[in-house]
Formats: sequence, structure tokens, C-alpha cells
Amino acid sequence: MKGASLKYSWLTYRRDQLWFPLALFALFVVISLILRRPAIRFSLARAYLGFIVPLIGGIMASYAVLDDPAIELRFATPVRAEQTLLARVGLIVVVQAVCALAFQLFALTLRVDLSPLGGVLAVQWIWLLPTLALAALGSAGSLAGAQSVVGAFLVGTVWLVELMMKGWFELNARYAFLFLGVFTPGHPDLALNQGVIVVATTTLFFLSWALLHQQERYI
Amino acid sequence: MIEIAGLTKTYGRGARTARALRGVDLQINPGMFGLLGPNGAGKTTLMRILAGIVHPSEGALRVEGHDLRTERGKRAAKSLLGYLPQDLGMYPELTAAQFVDYMAILKGLDETKKRERRVAEVLEMVALRDSAHRKIKGFSGGMKRRVGIAQALVNDPKVLIVDEPTAGLDPEERIRFRNLLVSLAADRTVILSTHIVEDIGATCREIAVLAQGQVRFRGKPSELTQAASGHVWTVTSDRLEEPEQGMTVVSMLHLSDGIQYRLVGARAESAAAEPARPSLEDGYVWLMKSS
Repeated sequence: MKGASLKYSWLTYRRDQLWFPLALFALFVVISLILRRPAIRFSLARAYLGFIVPLIGGIMASYAVLDDPAIELRFATPVRAEQTLLARVGLIVVVQAVCALAFQLFALTLRVDLSPLGGVLAVQWIWLLPTLALAALGSAGSLAGAQSVVGAFLVGTVWLVELMMKGWFELNARYAFLFLGVFTPGHPDLALNQGVIVVATTTLFFLSWALLHQQERYI
Repeated sequence: MIEIAGLTKTYGRGARTARALRGVDLQINPGMFGLLGPNGAGKTTLMRILAGIVHPSEGALRVEGHDLRTERGKRAAKSLLGYLPQDLGMYPELTAAQFVDYMAILKGLDETKKRERRVAEVLEMVALRDSAHRKIKGFSGGMKRRVGIAQALVNDPKVLIVDEPTAGLDPEERIRFRNLLVSLAADRTVILSTHIVEDIGATCREIAVLAQGQVRFRGKPSELTQAASGHVWTVTSDRLEEPEQGMTVVSMLHLSDGIQYRLVGARAESAAAEPARPSLEDGYVWLMKSS
């Protein structure tokens, strides 16, 4: 993607929606500053990276494609579906990446030990993979339902059900459990779990791509 | 050139099926072409199909030789098209120049210098040079329409599709916009879709009238006008009264000696009815009544 195109992806992005990730970022920063016990600070960092970043990423991705005032004009240009997806959903992932990395830097300044989650790369994996998975679910859901709210609802439901039924997922559906790496970083089935999520994410992005070709459903 | 044969578009399935277009056949040559029809006639569906956004259910459609039923053909045709939709959505926080520049990028104009020159050129064409660096959110309806036409022109399209472009514009803006479209039609195909008969009469060499998804008329505006010959009357009455059965009141004018009705219908029974010279609007009304 060219520089000018990236510039306009940013300029045409609904920046008023940025309050959502920024507000939650600020909330977790403030709570971490207030609660000084290392164990609590670790839990907060883990919750922010592992649960909050993916949830926001998924919800924002649900609105990324269809919530475009000039969507009909965009559809009348020869831009490919994959370019649209990359420009719109990619930007959300970038925003979430900035939040996740900034929070890790903040945690570092507070001397929060994130090593129980694994090495530096493993820590990135625990927020990136569920973020991509929920972003893919959000965009595919929105496009399948031809309404952004459908994707957001799906993301919220999956997120809530998986967290509420954490024990059940760990026992019976660990390969489909988005947060296995967050709760049990050393789980023997973690690699397989991540492989399944990568395949599911790719499939959902492919589905989004295919659905985006049916432009008449979205105008 | 645009060739349309047996074009059909169906929305929904089963009991909820709605046929927006029913076997439309048209050939559109370079110049200004008007598409007229009442609301719900299928004009916007046809415009969107021509713009490569809506996929036809049946029939053949070629824009400058590219088959719009295939993805490859659609992409090729889209790079030759300029499109101004009825509901023109824009990014209010962008300036006019930024918006047109962004659309130019989406249309594949990659070379920065060339693109900047073209953006300045089209903004000049639509008389927005002085407002190029103002945000769109501060623009009037007419200025937004002009930004819309600038983005449609930025890739120097061979075919320009404009759907209801004068809706919501004041009379002065409407005339300016119509004149702009006519000047653009000198070296390209411009398809103007509207339900405002006056806009078509003032601009188009050839027209088609669409009603209930079918082409009801194809020809010159003068031919449509002529079709109402012998079916237009004026009647002056000293009181407000219902029109004769089968007649449509095209206009009512309060005069010093009563109310003058302009009627279109097969035959006026009243002895006071005087034959009148038909206008394009009369021709359109007569066509709608008789088809």
C-alpha cells in the first residue's frame, strides 16, 4: 500500500471512535497506578493485553468496512476487495498494536513482570492472535449480516461466552479457546490451539473477502 | 458506447421477490443521454449496474466493450467510469482537494505529480479552485455536488454516470450544474438519470423513459413531446373543479377570469377545452398514462 493511500486510510478513518480504545487504555493505566501490588498489576496487564485489546479490535473491525460514508463511491472504483479489507481492518489492528505495545512499555516502567506469560514474542502472540481472530469474526459477521452491529454482537458474544465458560472451554474445546495462551501459557496443546485459531482467522478473512464482492448488499 | 440487452435485475427470493428491471434493451452512444422515469422505476438500479456495483440477474451489458457480468470486465470498466450517486456520501473532515485526491488514488492514479495536476484541473472545472482547501463539512449542497462531479471526472472517464444530480439544488445551482454536464458531454458519454423532466429537456439529445423496470420510450426529446400532440388541452374555469375522467391535470394557473387547467388525456369532452401545444412534460405524462 502506498504512502498517500495510507494517509487517506487514516484521514478517512472514523477517528471519533478512537475514544473507545483510548478510554480503556487510560482506565487500565489509572487502575494500575492506584493498585500497587505486583500480582494485581500483573493481572491487570494480562487482562488488558489478553482480553481488552482483542475485544476492542473485534468491535472496531466490525464497523471498519461498512461504516464508510463514501462506500458507494468506493465500490464504483476498481479497488480490489482485499485492498479495502487491508486498508480498513488493517488500520484497526495497527491501532490495537500501538495500544498493546504502549501498555507493555507502561508496565515495564512500573516493573510489572510479564514473564509468566512467556518471552517477549509469546507476550505479543497472546494479544495479537485473539485480536486478529475477533477482527476477522467482526468483519465477516458484519458483511454476512450486511450490518456492522451484527459483527459487533458476534464478537461480544464469543468474547463473553469464552470468558464466562473458561473452565468448560479449557476442558472440552481448548482448540477453539481464544484465551488459552492468556490463562495457561504453558499448556501442552497451546501450539495446536494457536494453529486452529490461525486457520479459523484466515478462513474468516477469506469469507470477508468473498462477501465484500457482493457490493450491492451494502449500499 | 454502452450496450444493454435483456437486462433484468431481481432482488430477494420467493414471495419477497421484487423485479427492479425487466428485460431492458438500450444502446447508449457518446453525448448526453437522459434516463427519465418516476420514483421506483428502476433508474438507480440501472445506474448502479452500469457503475459495476450491482450485479445483473440476467442479460448482457457492455461498457466500452467490457463485459460487466465478469469481475475482470467490471474492474476494467470501472477504470473508465465516473460515477456520481444519488446519495452522495463524503468524508466531511477532508478538504475538497483531499477528497478528490483520495478518489483519484482509488481509481488508480498513482503518479503523484500527475494526480495533483489533475485534481487541480477538475476542481477548476467545477469552479471550486478557491475552496479546494476548505473542509467539505462547510460546503453547501451545490458545492458538495460539484465536489462529487470533480471526483467523478478525476480519472478523465469515457462514461460519466450521474444519478439525480440536481435533487436539492436551488434553481441557479441546477442550471449551472446542467450546463456543466452538457459541456462535459462534448467528448464522452454522459448518462443523466432524473425524474425532473425539465433537466432532461434542457440537456439531452437522446432519452429513454423507464417505468416499472421497462423501457417505455427511446428516442429524441422532441419525439416524446410530439407523442402528446392532440392530447393536450387548456380549460379555463371560474371555479375549482375535478378534471374530466381520464384526464390528468398537468398544471393549474390562477388567472383574473378563473383557473386555467392544462390537461393531458385521450380526448377532452368539454366544449371549453382548447387544444394546446405539447411540452416535453406533457409528452412524459401522456406516455405514462397511455402505457
